[in-house]
Amino acid sequence: MPRPSRRTALNASATAAALCLVLAGCAGPGASPSESEGGAVTDKNPFGVAANTKVDIVVFDGGYGTEYAKYAAGLVEKQIGDGVTVQITPSNNLSQSLQPRFVGGTPPDSFTNDGADAIPITSIQDQLEDLGEFWDTKNYDGVKVSDAVFPGVKEVGEYDDAYLNANYVMTLFSLWYSQSLFEENGWKPPTTWSEMGDLCTEAKAKDKYLFTFGKEAAVYYQWLVLDSAIKQGGIDVIDDISNLEPGAWSNAAVKDVLGEMEGLIDDGCFVPGGAGTQFTQAQAQWSNDQDALFYYSGSWIESEMKEATADGFEMTAWPAPLLDAGDAALPFEAVQAGPAIPWAVPKAAASTAGGKEFLRALFSKEAASKFSELTLAPTVVKDTVPADGFGSSALASTMGVMEGAGDDLFSWVSNSYSGYYGIQDAPYWVSFLGGDITAQELIDAEEKLSAAAAADTSKPKKEYDYGK
Amino acid sequence: MTALLTAAGPGERTAPPRPRRRPNLDRISFMLVFLVAPLVLFAVFVLLPFAQSAYYSLTSWGGYSDRLEWVGLQNFTQMLGDEVLLKSVRNSVVLALVVPTLTLTVAFAIACVVTTGGPSIGTIKGLRGSAFYRVASFFPYCVPAIVIGIIWAQVYDPSRGLLNGFLTAIGLDQFQSFPWLGNESTAMAASIFVIVWSLIGFYTILFIAAIKGIPAETYEAARLDGAGRFRIAMSVTLPQIASSFQTAYIYIGLVAVDSFVYMAALNAQGGPNYATLTMTQYLYNVAFFQGKFGYATAIGIVLALVTLVYAALVFGVFRLLRGKDGGDHA
Repeated sequence: MPRPSRRTALNASATAAALCLVLAGCAGPGASPSESEGGAVTDKNPFGVAANTKVDIVVFDGGYGTEYAKYAAGLVEKQIGDGVTVQITPSNNLSQSLQPRFVGGTPPDSFTNDGADAIPITSIQDQLEDLGEFWDTKNYDGVKVSDAVFPGVKEVGEYDDAYLNANYVMTLFSLWYSQSLFEENGWKPPTTWSEMGDLCTEAKAKDKYLFTFGKEAAVYYQWLVLDSAIKQGGIDVIDDISNLEPGAWSNAAVKDVLGEMEGLIDDGCFVPGGAGTQFTQAQAQWSNDQDALFYYSGSWIESEMKEATADGFEMTAWPAPLLDAGDAALPFEAVQAGPAIPWAVPKAAASTAGGKEFLRALFSKEAASKFSELTLAPTVVKDTVPADGFGSSALASTMGVMEGAGDDLFSWVSNSYSGYYGIQDAPYWVSFLGGDITAQELIDAEEKLSAAAAADTSKPKKEYDYGK
Repeated sequence: MTALLTAAGPGERTAPPRPRRRPNLDRISFMLVFLVAPLVLFAVFVLLPFAQSAYYSLTSWGGYSDRLEWVGLQNFTQMLGDEVLLKSVRNSVVLALVVPTLTLTVAFAIACVVTTGGPSIGTIKGLRGSAFYRVASFFPYCVPAIVIGIIWAQVYDPSRGLLNGFLTAIGLDQFQSFPWLGNESTAMAASIFVIVWSLIGFYTILFIAAIKGIPAETYEAARLDGAGRFRIAMSVTLPQIASSFQTAYIYIGLVAVDSFVYMAALNAQGGPNYATLTMTQYLYNVAFFQGKFGYATAIGIVLALVTLVYAALVFGVFRLLRGKDGGDHA
């Protein structure tokens, strides 16, 4: 055997290095999705999930946990049989864990795009399956899915004439207070901002505050301000803001409500120090210490604060106050409630049929009741929560407030599609609630961000019309 | 030493040229392990990602597909009008200037005290109990940055935090519920304090090691000449460990420009009015929350440039201070 010379050794190593580069390059974008064989389409199996398919589901492991998804997985396995199994993978940071899978063309069959690290929908808009067919299919109860859910749920997930998201949890956004605490002190929850001011004075007499906020969740008060402005000035207020219209934040209703809130901030109606307080600790100042009378949040608040709620605290929902009941566009009872926790099926999934079948199980009464029982939150599936709200005052009052609103339910938070408000403006709201900047400075900052988002052509834009 | 070398020199030069050694298995395996393998690793994990980022920064890559659209320098021109980015650049510059200066000053002071600050008669030694101070100052460095961030966020808590509890207990009632991390004028200073606190120990140890390398005679001579402790520190110790100082300055500057972990724990969203947002945080937000990986990569490139400029400045300043040939001991 001839001895390798230095030259051949160098050549060999150079080739090896080049090979490594090529291999590394291959690990990046470009792998093609694996197509699975379709199964027979029957009434029992309308999407044609093939026998022995391993359905791959990624669930956001947040406040609602993943137990409900495991339950639905069991329903799918029972329904389809044929060796079909459903694998549930919990994840806490969706975008980091799913990004390589999307780029590599191997996304899961279905996933919840939720949590602080959710993937911006504009980034994957063209990679998601149109769920139109899913909405038209009968669920496990034999009802067409779009008929089994609350009105408007299907439309929330619509982008460019395709139904990309199937939102699952019905979320009420409102003020929350303890009915027992109010009764003890003979207080009445206010319906206008001026009554809010009066209540603040009474609260101070008892060494309490009106509101509390935490640094990560200052934006909840943006929701309160906008809900109130929408009720006062009409749904155009939020249409304009969402459509990034210039001057949308300078709308009179928004300005006036912000002015009222600025007054309350200046009067010391917020628990001091919120700008530096971690948000769950701030929430405990309300639910456990009862230093603050109100907190604004979504209806997940009950399960989020379960461990830090005082005994006898009757958590109750209350709509956002009005400026002036006389010329408000919507009645006081109007509230923001809408579907959240979006599920989606990627086009490149190994088994899109399996993904849709899983959603079909999820959007059936059995799985939906299980969800409400486990999490004390209502789903979008109708008639699944008993009148006693599984013994929860918050759930019962959520249902009551939503019923009270009747046709005056509106929904916009779950749709912050433009991706700037609620995220990029959050630090300004911390400063505003902390008393560091004025309402006008906040409006200017919002206008600037809105203009920048409007000028950004790198993302597709959605035309909003919440009034339709 | 020199004489020996020169004596050996001519002998070698007169020897006939050595025949080129033929490669054998030993030599090849040595080359593979010590030259080729590191080079390949370096190329694959350092050079290739650099090239990739340079390329991505010229595209509008959204991060979730394999399609890359070429946009030229648009990402870079966009930065000029991005107010939040400019704020984050300013914050990173502040961090790069303040954190190293504060940390190294305190670390140097502690190092001097525990090595040369002892009694002024007898051998040069540190303060009594200096071993304890050395360990105590190093202790925070053993705690991971994220834990430090979380602990200090609790200490700074307006209503239940240790700091305000202490301040109000000694009668400073204006600090009742004062939001250290939530007030625009104090958020940065409070964050810097945490970073400095956590880094001092490491640099103290670094300086102590360097000072131990200075011959005791130098100190004795200085003391005979009547130099006090402060004079000794400034005129003897400091010049002798200047190169350690320079290395430390560069290394800690990189840590300060990053600061991601500390800031993520203290003020995840960037603080009130983005008062503590760093470039690294903004880069992360742009990539994952706004889905603009191309733009985020371009920010990364600017971040790399800022770091390089910082390193060049530090080299330049130290060269100016020390004269061209350095002339330090360590």
